[in-house]
Amino acid sequence: MDDLIKLVRTYRLTTGLAERIRLAEEIFRLIQPDLRFFEFSSIAHHAAEDVSQEILKAIATSLKKFQGDTTKEFWAWCYRIARNKLNDHYRDKSADRLQPMSPEDIWEMVELSAQDAPISPAVRHDLEYALELLTASKPECNELLWRHYVVGLDYAEIAEERNLNYDAVRMKIGRCLEEAKSLIS
Amino acid sequence: MAELSQRDQLALHEFSVRYRAALAKQHQTPEQSLDTVRDAVREQYEQEQDAKRDMTIEPSEPTPEREPDEPDQDR
Repeated sequence: MDDLIKLVRTYRLTTGLAERIRLAEEIFRLIQPDLRFFEFSSIAHHAAEDVSQEILKAIATSLKKFQGDTTKEFWAWCYRIARNKLNDHYRDKSADRLQPMSPEDIWEMVELSAQDAPISPAVRHDLEYALELLTASKPECNELLWRHYVVGLDYAEIAEERNLNYDAVRMKIGRCLEEAKSLIS
Repeated sequence: MAELSQRDQLALHEFSVRYRAALAKQHQTPEQSLDTVRDAVREQYEQEQDAKRDMTIEPSEPTPEREPDEPDQDR
């Protein structure tokens, strides 16, 4: 069992306030980077910070009620809460949905990472190829490939997000990948 | 259906790692985040304590319903 689910299970059994706060801090230090990446990949960045705080609060408040036993279930539960909060936000401000970025803007982000970890010519070549794969097809396909390969959502999570079944998502992503590869070959 | 070659997998993985790092650098986690978590845990804890207190307060003896006054026959 990994550390995250151990902490969550211990949290559920803990009655003292000080110990609960300590465990919650540890849990959130572990989940926050991925959670923030999910949020900033879903909503316009100017609105993401406020929604992010609401999501943190909702997860922290409900932590005792989580009933699963695995890390995978815990992540699915966290993403469900995050999605609900994002949807609540879109109901009032639909314009805050993240608009697709241009390949040039995305590349600027990649270049930003080079400040800490320089990009060798071989890696640069691979990154350019990956960006082409991710942006070559029609918008719906690009978004699916992005959610799966960049945000890291699995088929089940994307299926839940889009109200589709698992196999439909798996097939769609396969077809999109095929299309992208044929377009850039 | 298209299969991902090892090269595709590595390229997409490297891309995801780099993009994630750039986004984290651009939008660093604010200090207040853990305060939000602590406040939410505290609030939840207080609600639980209130609920427990409400449950442990013994219900008071039900007061017997007062019989209606007999009409004063002499009046």
